[in-house]
Amino acid sequence: MKVEATEIEGRKVYSVRAFNGGLASYLSRLPTLWIEGEITELRRQDRWASVFFTLKDPEDGACLAVQMPRGQFDALQLGLGDGERVHVFGRPELYEQRGELRLKALTIERYGAGAHLAALERLKGKLAAEGLFDESRKRPLPRYPRLIGLVTGKDAAAKGDILTHIVQRFPPANILVAETAVQGPRAVASICAAIGDLCRRGADVIVLARGGGSLEDLLPFSDERVVRAVAECAVPIVSAVGHEQDTPLCDLAADVRASTPTAAARVVVPDLAELRERLERSRDNLHRGAHRAADRYAQRLATARDRLSRAPLLALERKRARIDTVYARLGALSPVATLDRGYAIVRSGEEVVRSPGQVASGDPLSVRVAEGTFGAIAE
Amino acid sequence: MTQPTFEEAQRELESIVERLERGDAGIDELTELWERGEELYRICAAKLEGVRGKIEELAQSSDTPAGPG
Repeated sequence: MKVEATEIEGRKVYSVRAFNGGLASYLSRLPTLWIEGEITELRRQDRWASVFFTLKDPEDGACLAVQMPRGQFDALQLGLGDGERVHVFGRPELYEQRGELRLKALTIERYGAGAHLAALERLKGKLAAEGLFDESRKRPLPRYPRLIGLVTGKDAAAKGDILTHIVQRFPPANILVAETAVQGPRAVASICAAIGDLCRRGADVIVLARGGGSLEDLLPFSDERVVRAVAECAVPIVSAVGHEQDTPLCDLAADVRASTPTAAARVVVPDLAELRERLERSRDNLHRGAHRAADRYAQRLATARDRLSRAPLLALERKRARIDTVYARLGALSPVATLDRGYAIVRSGEEVVRSPGQVASGDPLSVRVAEGTFGAIAE
Repeated sequence: MTQPTFEEAQRELESIVERLERGDAGIDELTELWERGEELYRICAAKLEGVRGKIEELAQSSDTPAGPG
């Protein structure tokens, strides 16, 4: 591109446009090269043609704006987030309209873990060693919360989502919302204060909600102070921060982790329709149970009455049976039956004769047979 | 007797049903249990029907600017 200058009072003067054009064409002759730095302020939107981020020198914080066509960035499928260390292959370019220098990236390669990630890993290890993430610390949520505390960003989509889902599922829910900064320098203190405030105001369960964001956006939720505030919260706390793939450290310290606002609503309130059904079932069972119990008593009573009416006859029959038995035994013992079979009882005087020695020849004897008695003389 | 919470009323109702089903309620208690059960049912139903919870904003203790999110 040819850069035209105007002569004004003996001076060569360039228009801004001409100057920028000239600079751009000069820069375009520089070689394409690799630059190492940390990704920050990554901005990517589906409707944008390009992805923007700032490449930061981890040593002294020097910055360089980087732009990359979104299609190429997406095709890399690196899932890059803020704080990651990368090598960028590109060349400097001037955005002529604004005279801003930036690196036009042709490709990006991940290089090691970013400083933030390493720090996060260290903190995670330290808190885990303290037992902050232990399963044994997890408390059950109240089944019917009196007051739900919601910590969320102002006008955040996450807030609306969670409120809608809770109220849809359980209209009687009482909710106290604490709006906080969820990113930026004041976020950490603001979130910690909100958790404390909600506890003091009588919340018996707290939901910490934050929509998805870059790793850097979610950093406050991995801050040691916030993680400790969550772990030490006086009442059970549900973490609904970020998306499924994000795991800010507060997720690990919370009693329950919910990956979406819907999931958060599901764990924090019961379903009204289910409750109603269960209540109606209880009432049906109450009626059926009472009827059955009454029937059982009536049945028992009828049986008792029946037995009562038959009792005297039974008693009489039992008595008769007993007499019959005794009579039979008596009969068996009586000599009458023996005499019937042809035996005789011989007496000499009053004595029953059991041996021939008891009688002498000519003694008068009395002989008893079944049907009578007659006299005899011994030989 | 103070008004039980929904959870207390529900639990009591269900334990009454259980007693009736186990069959160890005395005959003199039957009416009493029935009536108490009905009362608990009404308490629970009233707590579920037509009650809208309150959604309140906690007044900010400090002037905290909102972050997007």
